[in-house]
Amino acid sequence: MAQAMRPQMMGARVSRVEDPRLLSGQARFLDDIQVPGMLEVAFVRSPHAAARIRGIHTEKAVQYPGVHAVLTHQECSVLLWERDTYKVGQPVLANGEVCYVGQPVVAIVAENRYVAEDAAELVVVEYEPVTPVLDMRESILEQPRRVHPEAENVFFHKKYATPGFDEAFAKAPHHLTASFRTNRQTAVSMEPRGTAAMVDAASGRVTVYASTQSPHRMREDISHLMEIPEHLVRVIVPEVGGGFGMKANCYPEDIVVVAAALKYKKPVKWVSDRMESLETDVHARDDIHDVEVAFDGDGKIIAIRDHLMADGGAYPAYPFSGAVGETSLASRVLTGPYDIPHLATEIHCTYSNKTPLGAYRGVWGPIASFIQEGVVDRVARHLGLDSAEVRRRNMIRPGQFPYRNAAGMVYDEGSYLQSMEEALTLIGYEGFRARQAKLREEGRYLGIGISVFVEPTAMASSEAGSVGYESCTIRIEPSGKVTAALGLGPSGQGHETTMAQIIADQLGVRFEDIVILHGDTDSAPFGGGTGGSRSGPIGGGAALVAGRQMRERLVKYAASLLEAGEEDIELGNGQAWVAGVPDRSIAIRTIAETAYTNVRKIPEGLPIGLELTARYLPKRPVTFSNGTHIAEVEVDIHTGVVEVTRYAVVNDCGTLINPTIVEGQIHGGVAQGIGSAILEALHYDEDGQLVTTSLLDYLLPESTDVPRIDVRHLETPSEGEGGIKGMGEGSLIAAPAAIVNAISDALTPFDGMVDTLPVTPPMVLQMVSGGRTR
Amino acid sequence: MVPITLTVNGVKHALEVEPRWLLADVLRDELHLTGTHLGCEQGVCGACTVLLDGRPARSCLTLAVTASGCEITTVEGLAKDGVLHPVQEAFWQEHALQCGFCTPGFLMTAAHFLENNPNPTRSAIREALSGNLCRCTGYQHIVNAVERAATIIREGDSHAISQD
Ligand code: FES
Ligand code: FES
Repeated sequence: MAQAMRPQMMGARVSRVEDPRLLSGQARFLDDIQVPGMLEVAFVRSPHAAARIRGIHTEKAVQYPGVHAVLTHQECSVLLWERDTYKVGQPVLANGEVCYVGQPVVAIVAENRYVAEDAAELVVVEYEPVTPVLDMRESILEQPRRVHPEAENVFFHKKYATPGFDEAFAKAPHHLTASFRTNRQTAVSMEPRGTAAMVDAASGRVTVYASTQSPHRMREDISHLMEIPEHLVRVIVPEVGGGFGMKANCYPEDIVVVAAALKYKKPVKWVSDRMESLETDVHARDDIHDVEVAFDGDGKIIAIRDHLMADGGAYPAYPFSGAVGETSLASRVLTGPYDIPHLATEIHCTYSNKTPLGAYRGVWGPIASFIQEGVVDRVARHLGLDSAEVRRRNMIRPGQFPYRNAAGMVYDEGSYLQSMEEALTLIGYEGFRARQAKLREEGRYLGIGISVFVEPTAMASSEAGSVGYESCTIRIEPSGKVTAALGLGPSGQGHETTMAQIIADQLGVRFEDIVILHGDTDSAPFGGGTGGSRSGPIGGGAALVAGRQMRERLVKYAASLLEAGEEDIELGNGQAWVAGVPDRSIAIRTIAETAYTNVRKIPEGLPIGLELTARYLPKRPVTFSNGTHIAEVEVDIHTGVVEVTRYAVVNDCGTLINPTIVEGQIHGGVAQGIGSAILEALHYDEDGQLVTTSLLDYLLPESTDVPRIDVRHLETPSEGEGGIKGMGEGSLIAAPAAIVNAISDALTPFDGMVDTLPVTPPMVLQMVSGGRTR
Repeated sequence: MVPITLTVNGVKHALEVEPRWLLADVLRDELHLTGTHLGCEQGVCGACTVLLDGRPARSCLTLAVTASGCEITTVEGLAKDGVLHPVQEAFWQEHALQCGFCTPGFLMTAAHFLENNPNPTRSAIREALSGNLCRCTGYQHIVNAVERAATIIREGDSHAISQD
């Protein structure tokens, strides 16, 4: 193979091209978009979990100086309803009833946000409260009532069992049961949601700036819901300050802003404040799992039965409900990296009078890992075995790939056992037990927790509601510089850097000579956007395929212009040359010049110009990343406070594009995992009021909460393009389980076992005092 | 409307503001310095941190009128003559940002911290940054960056001295 085919940039620790603008305050986020005459929106939101609307009085608001318009359901009646899947949809502005606190009821469009909020306070809505539906188990039984009279509370129900499950389960020598609870959490991107829209008077097209992960999906949604032909809608995604799955939906506010811009022919903007974001960004992780396990005396797990329940909130988020994503995928990957032959699952997803459930990084994963790793530790404790040893005994072996799990998911090759063994070495598992025993005598409670995870990535259909492929357009400009465009919607992942790394290797041009465009539906080819850990493997795959096709074209040019055989042409450093004869070379710039301006010299059969689009659909419907996290914690049994003291990760996401960026993703996911495990919970009171509406109540991990994280890489390539596997979610999938297992381990003397996420200091104290021992 | 003067990144501005306008909004909407970000408007996240007479302040909790007459430095004022501030340079080298939304606040906090703590320990750095929230990075690369920035500044200084 030609020398230049050897990757130079792929796998390199390249500094990001995105950073200079972000570091100097020059980047443009949604709220930085300021257009002369732009109006701003404030929403009047429901203060009730459930109420009928008896009247809306907007007269005073309409007359308030600086107010341009006031919209209610009458003026904007779009319904966020995915009719094929769900029986109900959410009106973008409430229609006669409200179903959760924070639901948009009235929109005020005013000359600035201060005025809009003043006017919002003048709106009077007459409510007649009704009993809210707040308890998941009761809701499944249609108690105390139906959330929507026209639909059963349970909107998704599914049962599955492996053949022979009952017999295998009954015959097993040992059984145990546990109920696992995850409490509502949410993504809390540091940049809140926001949308701006403006109409081009000349063309009649509407340009929508949206802080979203999926530009084309957003364009489709707006086009479809508002009945505007899609070529009249342009979606531009500016810099996005974090998404984590939460910005994968189309929200009521998006539609209201576009509707207002169209109706009043003015630029209109809305940006969420933090209280709005905690109330109305999709929530996640509101799940209960009632689990029964059957195992033998060696700790080999034979069968798992799980009743999965999720509270989907008041409406299905548009276009997908996170409750379905969290449960149905969890049910399919519940056996994790273990060779467990039997599985039986039943799923109930139900409505309530709470905020709709959507995606948050990992979606089903942190929940499934919490259960799967919690089960292994319970089996180990039940039998008095070492928990690493129980994992070894159950682990899928290298010879078993491709491995079909009990739910029928096929795992491609991974490094399950190796990742665990290396992580055990990295954290110093051997020495830990002695240290633990010694400190315990001093009244200090250390614990260690293992979490071996699998991460399905690059799924044919993901929670982003995306298409299964991604597209990449590459254009070598007449100057030889390269512009490439993808349908991705990055929110900090550094795609402008990683995609350029991939393309540089293929084209043999300098990394600095490539610009990556994304997030503008006018320039990017149709694609699925960013979500479900797809951008690396599918987006990167598309960049690779497009790059290779362009490379072939460059080789044909070079062969013809240098009068050599195609097989002898090598590319690199902006040049093409004949192998072994570096003097016989031509600059890619000269090839580009030929392709655009000296067209008579274009080799037979090649089109004019250097531009092409490639679409890449992976052959496998999914590729699995894997790895192991091990956390060490210290629990203060007098205060219940948990400190995560040491942390080790061995991660395998196939071929690495940029290890530094991968490590950054892992660090961030672990920090979020610490939040998930011990800090973050959205609380509703008995009236259905969300009481955690500021970052003083909803606690994010701070720099002092996160320990140094030691990361090592393994590389088991996928069978897809470039051997790339996705990795955006694995760290948050694995981390909560590692941390709570470490807490359970620390509390072994008290017989404590964590069964709730997050586990807060009062819960720890209760475990210490024996309140929850089992 | 109340008349105020603000000196921002060395440039003096005479402005008319409503008494209730936040300093952050005046910087962003009136002066179009949108590098200062609002992540919570609740005084928690630190994204809105600017230097007010040389000390870090949350511009989401500061009314513009109370800052009248003050010297303000925002992230736009960190680089000098097109050369990145050592903290900016170190954040770039150490991959201390992902989405970059929190970054301006971290840069201002870190720049101020290093002025008074030229040779900090890692735990002192973590402590100093604990009033700034980042959802993307897990902080490790940020701590690395502040450590590196300290080195750059110290070496720059010793350079300056040895050149004398
Ligand atoms: S915006 Fe000021 S502290 Fe968050
Ligand atoms: S880099 Fe995204 S919040 Fe810090």
